Amino acid sequence: MSGGKDTLLSVDRLTVRFDASPSLIKRLLTGARRRTVHAVEEVEFEVTRGSTFALVGESGCGKSTIARTIAGIQPPSGGSVSFMGVDIAGFRTRHAAMPYRRNLQMIFQDPYASLNPRWRVGRIIAEPILTHGLMKRGVALDERVAELLDTVGLAPGDAAKFPHQFSGGQRQRISIARALAANPAFIVCDEPTSALDVSVQAQILNLMKRLQRERGLTYLLISHNLAVVAHMADAMGVMYLGRLVEQGDAGQILARPLHPYTRLLLDTVPDPRAPKRARARLAGEVPSPLAPPTGCAFHPRCPLANARCARERPLPLRVEAALVACHAVEEGRLPSRPPANENCLATSGDAA
Amino acid sequence: MSLAALRHSLGNWWRGDLAYRFRRSPVAILAALVGLALLVAAMGAPVLAPYDAFDPAAANAADARLPPCVEGMFGDVYLLGTDPQGRDMLSAMLYGLRTSLVVGLASVAAAALAGVLLGLIAGYFGGVLDAFIMRAADVQLSFPAILIALLIDGVARTAMPAALHAELAVPILIAAIAASFWVQYARTVRGLVLVERGRDYVLAAKVTGVSTPRILISHILPNVLGPVLVIATINLALAILTESTLSFLGVGLPSTQPSLGSLVRIGNEFVFSGDWWISALPGLLLVLLSLSVNIFGDWLRDALNPKLAS
Amino acid sequence: MSALLSVQGLRVEIARRGRAMTAIDDVSFEIAAGEILGVVGESGAGKSVTGTAVLGLLERPARQAGGRILFDGRRIDTLDEDAMRALRGKEIAAVFQDPLTSLDPLMTIGDQLTETIRTHLDLNPAEAVERAARLLAEVGIPAPRERLASYPHEMSGGMRQRVVLALAFSCEPRLIIADEPTTALDVSIQAQILDLLRAMCRERGTAVMLVTHDMGVIAEVADRVAVMYAGRLVEVGPTASLLAAAAHPYTRGLMASIPDLHRRDVELAQIPGSMPRPDAPVPGCAFHPRCPRALVRCASERPPTFTVGASEVACWLADPVARSAA
Repeated sequence: MSGGKDTLLSVDRLTVRFDASPSLIKRLLTGARRRTVHAVEEVEFEVTRGSTFALVGESGCGKSTIARTIAGIQPPSGGSVSFMGVDIAGFRTRHAAMPYRRNLQMIFQDPYASLNPRWRVGRIIAEPILTHGLMKRGVALDERVAELLDTVGLAPGDAAKFPHQFSGGQRQRISIARALAANPAFIVCDEPTSALDVSVQAQILNLMKRLQRERGLTYLLISHNLAVVAHMADAMGVMYLGRLVEQGDAGQILARPLHPYTRLLLDTVPDPRAPKRARARLAGEVPSPLAPPTGCAFHPRCPLANARCARERPLPLRVEAALVACHAVEEGRLPSRPPANENCLATSGDAA
Repeated sequence: MSLAALRHSLGNWWRGDLAYRFRRSPVAILAALVGLALLVAAMGAPVLAPYDAFDPAAANAADARLPPCVEGMFGDVYLLGTDPQGRDMLSAMLYGLRTSLVVGLASVAAAALAGVLLGLIAGYFGGVLDAFIMRAADVQLSFPAILIALLIDGVARTAMPAALHAELAVPILIAAIAASFWVQYARTVRGLVLVERGRDYVLAAKVTGVSTPRILISHILPNVLGPVLVIATINLALAILTESTLSFLGVGLPSTQPSLGSLVRIGNEFVFSGDWWISALPGLLLVLLSLSVNIFGDWLRDALNPKLAS
Repeated sequence: MSALLSVQGLRVEIARRGRAMTAIDDVSFEIAAGEILGVVGESGAGKSVTGTAVLGLLERPARQAGGRILFDGRRIDTLDEDAMRALRGKEIAAVFQDPLTSLDPLMTIGDQLTETIRTHLDLNPAEAVERAARLLAEVGIPAPRERLASYPHEMSGGMRQRVVLALAFSCEPRLIIADEPTTALDVSIQAQILDLLRAMCRERGTAVMLVTHDMGVIAEVADRVAVMYAGRLVEVGPTASLLAAAAHPYTRGLMASIPDLHRRDVELAQIPGSMPRPDAPVPGCAFHPRCPRALVRCASERPPTFTVGASEVACWLADPVARSAA
C-alpha cells in the first residue's frame, strides 16, 4: 500500500455506529440507558484501481455496513471515505453526488430481492443509463441493453421478460448487467454468490473475473467464504467485531496468516478436498457489538491472550505485505504454523 | 401500446396464475358475472329503464304503491310495482343502483388515493411525518365511520344553502365516506413500504442515484398495489352499504336522486301496511350487489396470497 | 436386512395446474445403523423433498407416487398419521435449517424439551426436567439448569441450533433427518455444531441422513455420500473416495467448480447451462444436455446403476459392457 499505486478508494478511520436505544418513554420509565451498536470502528484501507479488495468475517463483523457506507446508502458516524479523490460524505445535494454514483455500482447477495419484480429486465438494466442521462429512450438504448445482456451471457430477447422467469444465477447476471450499464469504475459486491449453488457460483465468479480483465474494473468483495476470497482477491482484510484485525496481500494472508483469528478461521473452513482433517477449532461465539470487549476484541476467544490483550487495544503492525493488529505478533509470542498445503506456498508469490 | 402488444399482454394474463385460479373457481366467476351484470344495468339505466326516475312527470300519483305486475290506471304495466309517488320501482332501482355504484366507486377511489399517498410518505420517510400521519389515523379510527360521515354531512348542510347542498350532495357524500375509509389503506401501505424500502432493489436504485419521488412512484408503489386492490374491492361493498345507510337515515342524497338506501327508507313506512316490495326489492338488490363484490374480493385476497396458492 | 432405513424406488409427484410433475424419480438408497449419509445436490435437485418423504411430512400438492420406505424392516410410508407421529420424535427425529421453525417462540426451552420427552418416554415431570438439563449440558450449553427457563429468542443462533439438537436427541432416536442444519450459521459455529452432531451420533450409534448443498459439510461429517441431480440419484459412495475421484461427470463438474482455498488464479470449471426443471423433464439421462462426455444413447436411454469400486453410479460411461468393448 505504498503511495505510488493508483488508489481508487481510500477509507480513513471509518466508524459507523447505530443507535439501538429503547424509546424515550421506556428509558424514562425503566431507567434503561442509551445503547449503541459499534458496527464499524476506525477501519482504514485502500483499494488499488483494477484490483479486488475482499473483506471477510463472520456475520455481524461490520463488512456489509462498510459496503453500504461506501455505496452511499449508510452515512458514516466518523472518518471518511474518499473515492477518486473526493470525500463522499461531503456531497450536499443529490446532483453533486451523481458523477460519483455513476462510477460506483453495487451487486447484492439475494438475487430474488435485488431486482424489482414488477419491472421488465430491459427497464431494470436501462435504469442507471437513464438516471445519469447517458442516453435517451429509443433504439440505441435497446441496442445497448441487448449488448449488456450479451456481455453477461444472456439473450437479447430476455429484455422483455420479468425477473421471476429466471433462475437465481441468471438473475445475478441481470444484476451484473445493471451494474455495468453506466460504465462504472468500481463495483461493490456484497456476497454476490452466497445465495447460489456452487456450479452457478463458478459461472458468476468466472464472469466477474472476465469483466474485470476486459474493463479494468475495481471490486470491493464482501464475503464470508474464504475459498471465494482466495479465488478472487488481490488484497484482503479480515474483520472481527467492527475492526480490521489483519489486512494486506491476499496470497500472503491465506498462506501465512498471522492474526490468531485469521488462523482459526482458516482452520475452521470445511474443505471438500481434505475430508475429516483434525485441526483447531474456534471456540465460543462472537460477542455482542452492543458491548465489545475491552482491549483486543478477540481476546475472550483467543488462545494466546494475556492480561495486556484484555487491557490495551493492539495497533496495526506491518509484517511483510500485511498489517496485523495483535500483541502476540508484536511480542513474538506467535507459535509457528505448519504450512497447510504446499500449493499455497507455490502460488503465494505471484500475487504479491 | 399497439393492438398486437395489447393482445400479447392480455394473452399472457390469461395464461397466468391468477387467470388460471379464476377459471377454476365457479364462485368467483359467478360473483364476477353478477357484479358485471349489475354494473352494466346501472350504467345503462337511462336506456334500460322503462321510465325516467328523475322526471316527476313520469310519475303518476294515481298509480302509487302498486304491487309488482299489476296494471296501472292508464294501462302502464309496472314489472316491480310502484313507490308511494307512483314511480316505477324497476326504473327507480336501476337509477338507484347507478347512484349507489357511482358513490361507492368514487369514494373508494378517493380513499385509496389519499390512503396510499399518506401510507407511502409515512412508511418511506418515517420520523415526525410518520408519527403525525399515523396519529391522525388513530384518531380517525376512534370514531365509527358512520359518525364521521354524519358529521361531514351535517357541517355541509348547515354551512351551505339548501339548493347548493342538493347540487353538491353526491361529492359531499363521496368525501364523507372516503374520509372514514382512508386509514385502512394508509396503514396497510405503510406496513408494506417499511418492508419494501429495505429490499435490495430499492437500495440498488438509491446506489444508482435515482431520486426519491421516482423510487416511491415507480419502484415501491407497483409492489404494494396488490393488497390495495383487495382492500378496495372489499371496501367497495362497505362503501355502498355506508351510502345506503346514510341515505336510509335521511342524511345522504335528496329524494330527487334515488339511491338504493333512500328507496328502502321510502318503503320503510309502508312495510307494515303490506306494501313490502317498496323496501324489500331495493334491499334485495343491495344484498346481491354487496354479496357479489364481497365474494369476489375474498377470492381475490386468497388468489393473491402466495401462501394459500397451490 | 441390515439397513436401518431403506428407500426403494421412491417417486414423488407435485401437482401444478392439474398436471403431475415428477420431483423425485425412482430414488433408492439405504442407511445402516449408526451411519451418516450425506445427501448432496443443488437447489431443486430434490434432496429436501426426499427427507420430507422419509419423515412422512409431504403435503399437498406433493405426494408419494411410488416406491417404498422401510425403517428397521418395517414399511413406514403406508402408516397412518397417528402411527407416523409416534414414530417421529421417538425413532426418527428431524433437525431443520432454521432453529426458529423447530422451536416454539412462546415456550421455554425446558417446557419444549420436557414436553417432547414425556410424550414419547414414560417419565415423571421431575425425571423429565433432569433429563432435559442433562441434554442441554451435553450439547454444550453453559448453565443448563438456568437455561431451561429461557425462551428461544433469548439465545444466539448457534445456541438455538444446539437446543434443536438436544430436542432431536431427547428420546434417543435411531435416525435423524438433518436438513441443512448449519446453513444459516457462521463457519466457526457451523464447525462446532457439526462436531457436536458427529460426536453425539458416534456415542449413541444414531444414523443421520444429512441433507446439504455444501460439499465441505459432507467432507466434515459424512461416511457415505449420495449425489442427487434433477430428482434422481446419480452417484452413491464412500465420502473419501467419492470426493477424491468421482465417477459421475456431474459430481466431477460439481467438485471442479468449488473454489480452492489453496489454489489461486485458476479458472473455475463450469458446468454449462442449468439443471432441468421438473416441468420440463429431460429424456434419457437427465444430465446429458450438460455432460461433456455424453454418448448417443444418453439422450434416449436412462442409465441404470452400475457398480464402480465402492460406488454406485448411474451413468452409461460406467457400463462394464461398454467399457470392455471400448
